[in-house]
Amino acid sequence: MKICLVCSHGGHLTELQHLREAFDGHETFFITYDSARTRSLERRYLLRNIGKNPLLMAYAFFIIFSILLREKPKIIVSTGAEIAIPAFCLAKLLGIKTVFIESWTRVDQPTGTGRIVYPVSDVFLVQWEEMLSKYGKRARYEGAIV
Amino acid sequence: MIFVTVGMHTQSFDRLLKKMDEISGRIAEEVTMQVGRTAFRPQHAKWFDFATEAEIKEFCRKARVVVTHPAMSVVDALDQGTPVIVVPRQKRYNEVIDDHQVAFAGVLEKEGKVVAVYDVDGLERTLKRSDLKTGGAGRDKRLVNALKRYIAEFERR
Repeated sequence: MKICLVCSHGGHLTELQHLREAFDGHETFFITYDSARTRSLERRYLLRNIGKNPLLMAYAFFIIFSILLREKPKIIVSTGAEIAIPAFCLAKLLGIKTVFIESWTRVDQPTGTGRIVYPVSDVFLVQWEEMLSKYGKRARYEGAIV
Repeated sequence: MIFVTVGMHTQSFDRLLKKMDEISGRIAEEVTMQVGRTAFRPQHAKWFDFATEAEIKEFCRKARVVVTHPAMSVVDALDQGTPVIVVPRQKRYNEVIDDHQVAFAGVLEKEGKVVAVYDVDGLERTLKRSDLKTGGAGRDKRLVNALKRYIAEFERR
């Protein structure tokens, strides 16, 4: 099954790499930000870092839409950050299943991205039990990367 | 060697790098810094902006102690068996968007994985402590297994 892995290029990528074993036996590709580090990933689409730039966010919606149409993944898995927002909104539109994993570094405060993608995620995981009450009933705690 | 790393974060972390450079000018031990997007350029310490994952891990392995923000770089250091001192980025210094790193530093310290320093003036004293030890990262397989289960469920539908 084809799985799309979405994350920014620093710690969020490190978190996803710690979970790679979960994707063994499946075809995967990354949508992430361009950097020396991500250029060495095997199958990847590299975008400019969106940050807080609304124009780059609009551009990311457009690019990610075309990637998803071309690749037709069955599932999108993301550890954040904001690059997950266009991917998860478009996944809802295209009927792609989504799994969001809130960062291990978040022990008591939700991320802005988590708040936005929570309503559109099929599975929403947090890495600390204390975080469950910060989201809604659909948030689940099933362990952490460390 | 003391290795200081501030990751890919887009906001500057001058407070940490300036203090570590100042300390570097006073001590004999070598200090190497990964400065990332921080504007400050060290005068005494060796530095570079970014490196590959393998190179970062090698610096973490060779270091006596790693000084970093409480983020995923902590795992890189713990995996190499090196003691870690974390200095949380703080919103009031415009180093990060909120104070989640302050909370995270507290949790990591309570678990015995790191030593947390909130005021950089305490760094030099902490670096000289003889009881710095590594907490070790360990791995929790539950999350990987949960992910596998969800993927299998989606596959069946």
